Amino acid sequence: MDAGLLAQFVANGLMLGMMYALVAVGFTLFFGVLDVIKFSHGDVLTVGAFTGYSTYLGLKLLGVANPWLQVAAVVIVACAAMALLGALIAKYIVMPLKGAPALNVLLITLMLGTVLRESVRLFYPDGANPKRFPRLLPTDAVALGSFNLRLDSVLLFLGGLAVIVAIHVLINRTKLGLAIRAVAQDEETAKTMGINFTLVVLVTFAIGSAAAAFAGVMNGLYYNEINFGMGLWLGVIGFSAAIVGGLGNIYGAILGGFLFAALQTVGAVALPFASAYKDVFAFAAVIAIMAWRPTGLIAERTSERV
Amino acid sequence: MTSLEIENVYAAYDKADVLEGVTLTVAPGRITCLLGSNGSGKTTLIRAILGLTPPRAGTIRFGGATLSGLPTHKVIAAGIACIPEGRKVFTKLTVEENLRLGAYQEASAAAVAERLGRAYEIFPQLAERRAQLAGTMSGGEQAMVSIGRGLMSAPKLLLIDEPSLGLSPRLVKENFSIIRRINEQGITVFLVEQNVHQTLAIAHYGYVLSQGRVVASGSAEALARDAAVQRAYFG
Ligand SMILES: Nc1ncnc2c1ncn2[C@@H]1O[C@H](COP(=O)(O)OP(=O)(O)OP(=O)(O)O)[C@@H](O)[C@H]1O
Ligand SMILES: [Mg+2]
Repeated sequence: MDAGLLAQFVANGLMLGMMYALVAVGFTLFFGVLDVIKFSHGDVLTVGAFTGYSTYLGLKLLGVANPWLQVAAVVIVACAAMALLGALIAKYIVMPLKGAPALNVLLITLMLGTVLRESVRLFYPDGANPKRFPRLLPTDAVALGSFNLRLDSVLLFLGGLAVIVAIHVLINRTKLGLAIRAVAQDEETAKTMGINFTLVVLVTFAIGSAAAAFAGVMNGLYYNEINFGMGLWLGVIGFSAAIVGGLGNIYGAILGGFLFAALQTVGAVALPFASAYKDVFAFAAVIAIMAWRPTGLIAERTSERV
Repeated sequence: MTSLEIENVYAAYDKADVLEGVTLTVAPGRITCLLGSNGSGKTTLIRAILGLTPPRAGTIRFGGATLSGLPTHKVIAAGIACIPEGRKVFTKLTVEENLRLGAYQEASAAAVAERLGRAYEIFPQLAERRAQLAGTMSGGEQAMVSIGRGLMSAPKLLLIDEPSLGLSPRLVKENFSIIRRINEQGITVFLVEQNVHQTLAIAHYGYVLSQGRVVASGSAEALARDAAVQRAYFG
């Protein structure tokens, strides 16, 4: 295969890996603090992308034409709105189900996801059709042989990286992060340390949902298109990534996200005659990995679980 | 000074009451102990005070403020800390992170640093291992982490649930003398134990719990002689 084309595949894989990692981190954070799987996570991403798109339309109406201002506003509004939505979902839907079987939470959030998705489809103006997401970042390119490295892709990747690093720093270097880790390990003892459990849960859901919104906007800016079903697919992949990495472990989620993208890329490169099979290949490989490591790649050592 | 007043408290997990009208007072500045055999409801009473198993009926007051009905973090904010049954250290966090969590509500970094220093003074072994994961420590060392963590908030009242559980006689003795020293520094102690003799040796006042009811109470000396206590513990 041509080196330029290969480079294109790798660049695309890295971008996808970053989006998957951003989604997977949310799944793993929610599981960490509440032991739940929140299946509406992918659809929150969709709502985030549409919120970003609406922000862009609103700015255009207001006559704000500076693309840097536009992109900053799109990201900030989408992330802030989804942080709020995530916290509201946690407070009014997930927390009240505390103590219910995990399957119920899964089912109810699955239904909530459908409600969010269908609401976008039905209530967003012409929501059933894909929307052309604007190119807001500079598209200057450097030609490296036959591979065009575009500035907007680099910026998007760095943006995603910044979010991941920020989450890492928050979890490992701040008092709030310490509280999140304590709650994830032992809810009751964490409470007796004086930690406001409900607040920590809400903040965690806000963080995870904002990361999903960022992934949604990133996806829109990268492909220049969003649609009401985008989050369903990204959600399924993000969930698989979180599981294959080891649910509950942030680094596992990041690893799982990039691993899934790598598998897709390998699938696409190895099966050029049928690149539609790249997802089949990736999911099959995930199943094989799960059979080999049932608790994920970065598993909690069972001896550490009380 | 603030005293803890527990009045006619009922608490249950599912249906049957585990606590059936417990009334007792933890006097300020003293060590009050609660003795009782396995399953008598001692830990449940601690949980009720902390709001982990909120009382079904009855009131719990601390220095005039009503604790019953408050979420746990607000009970802690009233100046209460707990050294729980079975240590409950955060195994995947370092020793120092465990200690810092004890001072979670303390906003002043200087105060936290100062208390950390004091905890390391009491337990020099912990200072050497501050970066070690608590789960990789021995049972005795985990007990130190748990005690140190309980002191980090500089509480007015410390609830201690069976500190001697699973420790060697030497460590038990050490722990009891640490508890006595903690109390001498002005912290009120509510000590739950099954180890009758050593507990009564350091406590000022005591209660005996049996099947969710207080069946005896009195000064430590009186309890040590009391026939009901003897019966409850020695058949
Ligand atoms: N989480 C729980 N769910 C249901 N029942 C419980 C729970 N915890 C304790 N119990 C029951 O409540 C009763 C009192 O238990 P508790 O733990 O308060 O006893 P204890 O006096 O602390 O005993 P020990 O000395 O063994 O620690 C027991 O019959 C126990 O089975
Ligand atoms: Mg007990």
